[in-house]
Amino acid sequence: MATFEYKQAEEVRDAFERHGCRYLFIGKSGAILLGFPDTTQDADVFVEKSTKNGEALVAGLRDMGFTVTDEQAVEIKRGKDFVQLKNGPFDLDLIFAPDGIEKFEDAWQRRVDVQGFHVCNLDDIIASKVASNRPKDRESLPRLISFREYWRTYLK
Amino acid sequence: MNEEERQEILKRIPPDWLAEFEAAARRPLEQRMKYAFIKTYRPVMDDAKYRSFDTMKEYREWCRRELPDWLGYGDL
Repeated sequence: MATFEYKQAEEVRDAFERHGCRYLFIGKSGAILLGFPDTTQDADVFVEKSTKNGEALVAGLRDMGFTVTDEQAVEIKRGKDFVQLKNGPFDLDLIFAPDGIEKFEDAWQRRVDVQGFHVCNLDDIIASKVASNRPKDRESLPRLISFREYWRTYLK
Repeated sequence: MNEEERQEILKRIPPDWLAEFEAAARRPLEQRMKYAFIKTYRPVMDDAKYRSFDTMKEYREWCRRELPDWLGYGDL
């Protein structure tokens, strides 16, 4: 199992692009793409929950080399809230209904594109971590909030 | 935002964090990602090839019930 690196992020970007899958990097992996210097184990993508997008998602995952059985494909297309994949070239978490974000479309409108990677806005990443309220999220929040301040000054 | 406002905001950021943010901003994305993603074994979490949950609530409950506390996925 390969560690998630730039090359794997490119595979996600390109495979989802080929199949027209709407996704956003979210969580710490999203923050890292926006420049946040920290470490994580997880690559998390927020995926639009719709039948059409589910089909594109499954096709993209299979293209990347994930072993998705027909039964799993049905589940993914139907749009579970959370799917954890460790059956491919790298680990990937699919989140269809992240805590703290009302609708995919809203997050899509607020997204940031970095070298072709679609990434949730830091406001949404922070909102999601606040809503999750797990120890691991709470630990990273003060630094992430400071990074948002920095990021905003950097952009303007 | 003018430079004065920018400096005011930056002053509120702890200096060691600011230094890290600035150092990261100087690195290309590819290099940042190389430093950022790590892989260590997480008991239970890494023991299945596939898991799915109908709701986030169900996922959170599973984390609380099944994962060791020290992984940080449980309650505060």
